[in-house]
Amino acid sequence: MAQKMLLSLRRICRSFGGIQALDDVSLDIARGDILGLVGDNGAGKSTLIKILAGAHDPTSGDVILEGRPQKLSPPSEAQRLGIETVYQDLSLIGTFTAAENFFLGREIALGRGPALLRWIRRKSMGDIAMRGLEELHIEIPGVRSKPVDRMSGGQRQLVAIARGAFWGHKLLLLDEPTAALGVRESREVLDLIKRLGAQGLTIVMVTHNLDHLWQVCNRVVVMRRGRKVADLASSGTDMEDVVAYITGARQPATAQAEA
Amino acid sequence: MRAAMSADHSLPETHAPAEAPRILPSTQTGYASPNARQRRALLMRLLGTYGTIIVLASMLGIFSVLEPGTFATIGNFRNIVNDMAIGTIVAAGLTVPLVAGDFDLSIGYVASFCGLLVVGLLSSSGLPILPAIFLVVGLGTVIGIVNGIVVSKIGVNAFIATLGTGTIVVGLNYAYSGGIPLQLTQSREFTNIAIGRIAGVPHLVIIMAVVLALLWVILNRTVQGQHIKAIGVSPESARRAGVAVDRSRIVAFAIASTCAAIGGVLMASNLGSGQVTAGDSFMLTSFSAAFLGSAALREGQFHILGTLIGVLTVAVGNNGLAMIGAPIFTQFLFTGCLLVVAVALGGIGRRYARG
Repeated sequence: MAQKMLLSLRRICRSFGGIQALDDVSLDIARGDILGLVGDNGAGKSTLIKILAGAHDPTSGDVILEGRPQKLSPPSEAQRLGIETVYQDLSLIGTFTAAENFFLGREIALGRGPALLRWIRRKSMGDIAMRGLEELHIEIPGVRSKPVDRMSGGQRQLVAIARGAFWGHKLLLLDEPTAALGVRESREVLDLIKRLGAQGLTIVMVTHNLDHLWQVCNRVVVMRRGRKVADLASSGTDMEDVVAYITGARQPATAQAEA
Repeated sequence: MRAAMSADHSLPETHAPAEAPRILPSTQTGYASPNARQRRALLMRLLGTYGTIIVLASMLGIFSVLEPGTFATIGNFRNIVNDMAIGTIVAAGLTVPLVAGDFDLSIGYVASFCGLLVVGLLSSSGLPILPAIFLVVGLGTVIGIVNGIVVSKIGVNAFIATLGTGTIVVGLNYAYSGGIPLQLTQSREFTNIAIGRIAGVPHLVIIMAVVLALLWVILNRTVQGQHIKAIGVSPESARRAGVAVDRSRIVAFAIASTCAAIGGVLMASNLGSGQVTAGDSFMLTSFSAAFLGSAALREGQFHILGTLIGVLTVAVGNNGLAMIGAPIFTQFLFTGCLLVVAVALGGIGRRYARG
C-alpha cells in the first residue's frame, strides 16, 4: 500500500497560539486521486492545504512523500518537489501575458548569474506556454500578447491551473477553483480538472460547492473543527451524507476514528 | 456627459412644444446612459494613455505660435535636449523603483552630495578623475542598497525610509563641506565630461542615451526587470511564484541611487564646482517626469520611454515660459501644477485601464 501512496500525513497537529487548527489528522493521498476537501469555515481545510503547499509547518506529525519523510516548507521546497498550489486569488500578475505568468519566477533566460544579467527569452516562453495550453485543450486567444487583466475570470483561472499543472508534476492543490466563476466558466474549469485527472495528475481541491466536487472528485474528505470526520469514496456516499458530516449532524463512528 | 445635458435642455426650447415630450429629457438627464458611461470610460482611457502627449503637443503648438523666432528653432531644441540630459538620467533611475512600487525621495540629496563629493575628491585628495568618479558613483549604489535593505528587510515604508536616508545624506553633505560650495582646482578635463562634444553631439546627450538604453534593456529584457515589474503589480503573487521580492526591491533602489550619483557627478562637471544643494530639485522634477510618463502610452504604468517624454514635457514648459518672458514665479506654478496634473493623469490611466 505504501508504494501506491503519493503522500501521507501522519497524525498532523497544527496550532496557532491557543487555537488548535488541525487536531491529529492523518490522510493518505494515492497517485491519481482527485480529492475533494470540504468543511465549514474554520474547519481546517486551509491549514491542511497550506501544510501540503509548504506554507505552514505542522506543529507535530509527519509528512511522508513517496515513502520517505519529507519537510515541505518553505513553499519553494514544495514546488521543487513537484507540488504546485493555485491560490484563490489566482496569483497571476494582471499586466503580464499568460505566457509571462506561466514562467514568472522560472523564466527561460540566456546567461547565468544574477537576474540582472540574464536575458529573458520571450519567444521560447511563449512557444512553450502555447504548447502547454494546447496540450490541455485550452483555447485562449492572445496567450503571448494579452495581459491577463483583459481576460475573463474563467480564462484567468484556466491559465492559473494550467500553470500549476505544468510545473506540478506530482501534486496540484486547488483552493476554491470555481468560487468566483459563472456556470459556463465553472464547467470549463471542471472539465480541465477532469482532463488533468485523466492524465494521471494527483489533485487536492478545496471547495464549498458539493455539486462541483461530485463532478470531478473520486474521494471526499470532510473536515470539522480541525479533525477529519469523514474520508469517503464519492461513489459510496451522497451529498446528504456529506452535508451531515460537515454540519456535525452525523459523527464519525468511534471505532473508525480510533482505528 | 455635460454635452449631452446641454443638448437635452436646448431640445424642448427650440423644437418641441413645451407640453409634449416631457418624459424624454427628464429621464435622460437623471442618469447617464450606458452609452454615455462607455464614452466617458473611453475618454478617460485616452486621457490616461495620451494625456501627457497632448499636454506636450499643445505646449509645443502654443509656444511656437507665440515665439516663432526664438522658441521654434533647431538651436533652441538642441538647448532643451542638452539641458534636460542630467535630469533625464536621474528621473529614469527613479522610474525603476517606481515600477517596483516604491518611492525614493532621497535621489535629489544623493545627487547633491555626490556632485559635491566628486569635486572635493578631485581638489583635495589628488585622486585621478576616473577612480574619483567610480568611487562616488559606487557610494551612490551603496546608499541605494541601504535604502532597499531598510525598506524590504526591515519593512519601513519607502516614503519615510528614503526621506530619512535622504536627510542623513544631507547631513553627510554638510559635514563634508561645512555648507560651503567647493571650487574645482582640477584641470578642464573634468568639466569637459559634461561640456564636450563628439561629432557635434554633446557628451551629456550621449550619456543620457546610453543610460536610457541600459535601463530600458534591464526593465524589458532581463529576468530582473521582469521581477521588478511583477512586484510592482502584486508583491504577494510574485513571492508565491518564486520571485526574490526583497532582492528585486534592493536592486531597484540601487539603480535609482546610482543614476542619481551619475547625475550629481555630471552636474558638478557641468557647473565646474561643487554646490551644496544643486541636485535637490531633481527630486521634484523627477517625480513630475515619471508620473507624466505614466500617462504616456501605457495607461498609468511607469516606464522608461514615458519618463523621457515626461522630462521633455517639463523642459519644454520651462523653456517656453522663459522664452515668452514669463516671470520666474510662473515656473514654480507651472512645475507644481504639472506634478498634480501628472499624478492625476497617471491615476486616471490606472483606474480605467481595464475598461
